[in-house]
Amino acid sequence: MTRVSIDGDNLVVEIEGMDKLWSLKSRLAIPLANVRGATADPGIAAEPKGLRAPGTSLPGVITAGTFHQDGERVFWNIHDGARAIVITLADEHYVRLVVEVADPAATVALIEQAISRRPR
Amino acid sequence: MGRHRGFDEQAVTAAAAALFAGRAYDGVSVDDLVQHLGVHRNSLYKTFGSKRGLYLAALLWHLEHQLPPLAEQLAAGAEVVDNRALDLLLLAAVERAPADVEVAALVAKAWQTLDQALQRAPAAPAGGPRATALSVLLGERLRARAAVASAATTDPA
Repeated sequence: MTRVSIDGDNLVVEIEGMDKLWSLKSRLAIPLANVRGATADPGIAAEPKGLRAPGTSLPGVITAGTFHQDGERVFWNIHDGARAIVITLADEHYVRLVVEVADPAATVALIEQAISRRPR
Repeated sequence: MGRHRGFDEQAVTAAAAALFAGRAYDGVSVDDLVQHLGVHRNSLYKTFGSKRGLYLAALLWHLEHQLPPLAEQLAAGAEVVDNRALDLLLLAAVERAPADVEVAALVAKAWQTLDQALQRAPAAPAGGPRATALSVLLGERLRARAAVASAATTDPA
């Protein structure tokens, strides 16, 4: 599971428990200016993930770590994907984060409000 | 970032507007969008950023392409209560506008356009303030939508 919060001008993504081990990551901090949006997307679990490097992949059990697909770098941390959200980024190491959170609707609303409050 | 999308962004945005006009925002999943728009999931995310990004693009497309002809019809005094072009705006006003300032701004802009069109209509609605004509129209459209649904369920009886 992943915990997503807003800290000042940053979106903070914290990997919890054993997932830290599988994904080889514990925390990502991304400037809100580089966050394009967030979407609840349980269906994404069924999509091809691309090449994993580095990370862990046991389809249906865990997908965690950095994956490369079509020249894009995507960070995944999901188990069955039922509560997956997709966070799209600009000018960052990753183009997307696909993470599982406790409350997808609330997390998406939190991110959308944080980025729409920012002056464009 | 490459400009080439590999798909017709306008056509996809128009199809999304049609989808969002018929169903609640939360009732449209990314799976639905991928299936109905015929665009890969990764391309949707790359182009629009999020479901909200696509929704805003669809609403903007609607204001640019579907609202002007509707306003013209209203200004000409035509009957538009059966026009589905109002549906996306009605749903946006009920569902998304209270939670999303950008949607609220677009809906307000659309109401303004329609208000102005009604003012130009030959048979100006009797009496009441200008805004009343639009409120009556929206109410009638809402009832027309419900009437279609209830006719469909009661017909076989």
